[in-house]
Amino acid sequence: MSGRSGREARREQRLREEEPGGADRRQKLIKPASAAAFLALAIVAVLIVVSQSQNGGGDTELEGVAEVREALAGVPQNGMALGKPSAKVTVLEFADLQCPVCKGYSEEVLPQAIEHRVRSGEAKIDFRNFTIIGPESTPAGAAAIAAGEQGRGWNFVELFYRNQGTEGTDYVSDQFLTAIARGAGVPDIDRWNGDRKSGRVLREVAASTAQAKSLGFTGTPSFALEGPGTAGLEALGTPNSAGALESAISSAG
Amino acid sequence: MKAPAEGTLRGISTFLATFGIGVATYIAIADSGGGTPVCIAGAHGCQTVAESSYSHLLGIDVAGFGIAGYVLLLACALLRGDSARMAGFALSLVGFGFSLYLTYLELFTIDAICQWCVASAGLMTLLFATNATRMLGYVGTDR
Repeated sequence: MSGRSGREARREQRLREEEPGGADRRQKLIKPASAAAFLALAIVAVLIVVSQSQNGGGDTELEGVAEVREALAGVPQNGMALGKPSAKVTVLEFADLQCPVCKGYSEEVLPQAIEHRVRSGEAKIDFRNFTIIGPESTPAGAAAIAAGEQGRGWNFVELFYRNQGTEGTDYVSDQFLTAIARGAGVPDIDRWNGDRKSGRVLREVAASTAQAKSLGFTGTPSFALEGPGTAGLEALGTPNSAGALESAISSAG
Repeated sequence: MKAPAEGTLRGISTFLATFGIGVATYIAIADSGGGTPVCIAGAHGCQTVAESSYSHLLGIDVAGFGIAGYVLLLACALLRGDSARMAGFALSLVGFGFSLYLTYLELFTIDAICQWCVASAGLMTLLFATNATRMLGYVGTDR
């Protein structure tokens, strides 16, 4: 290798010495080289513009993007279920994305259960829409399910809660939902947009709301459990603390 | 200052581009399998970055662009002549510039560092330095 390099170096030296027009040739090549550099920088600029426009100029306007990513990092997601598919205990959480109590529960109670029971593989939590706040709860819930189909359902739900608006202010617009989806890291926004408006996903929202009612729930969030220690799916209601929820998971396992 | 022999520069570029293909391919395979690249020492930065919406451009994994870039840079390293020198310079400038942007996103927008992405950005920086030296030192020297 060093012999070959030495030969090449000597050849290049000889060429420089033998070729009186070498400097002219290099002068002539300045223009195409400059054009190549200009083209390269233009391509970089185009890539950055596409990336920024695709992400709405960045997701820094949303609250809690990094916190949500960090909280859910390393926990498997399958559809709207958070946790290992093989977990013994399944916790169904019936919630409305517009519900302020659900937001508080998601920020103050669930993190401990996720850290202790879900991350360990003991339980998985399946988010189910229970639309009771208003008509916008349905498109919000459908958007979460569509995000779940791309592995970002819980990122969507948690980020929605952290940016939840005041009830009755019509904040759940297409623009808001798209910003949440982007902040949640949904990879294919076009696919998500089609899925969230599909009859299949909207029917899923209606079906889970009907299921919540059939379990006797009247408010959100409400929980139901299923595991080796339960007789099928059992309504739990709303545990008033993380400890109570964890205790119920232990009993079900 | 005299540039190193062109053969040496081409050899370094060949090694770096081959290594880069390996890194970008690992990221792409880990991401396409529904998982994410695994960071060393249990850090979660790789997953956070891979799950960010910035990890895809026009629906294509950014690592896919990386593989294409490294393959083209490998071809430029293996070929002789002014066209290869200039193409290598331009391609590595694109890769270096885009890597700078991605690193900025990691630090200030996504708030997470992916070790594999940092490795790729380092390789692109070295490839830019090598290809720039090759072009400045040897373009127009062929007979």
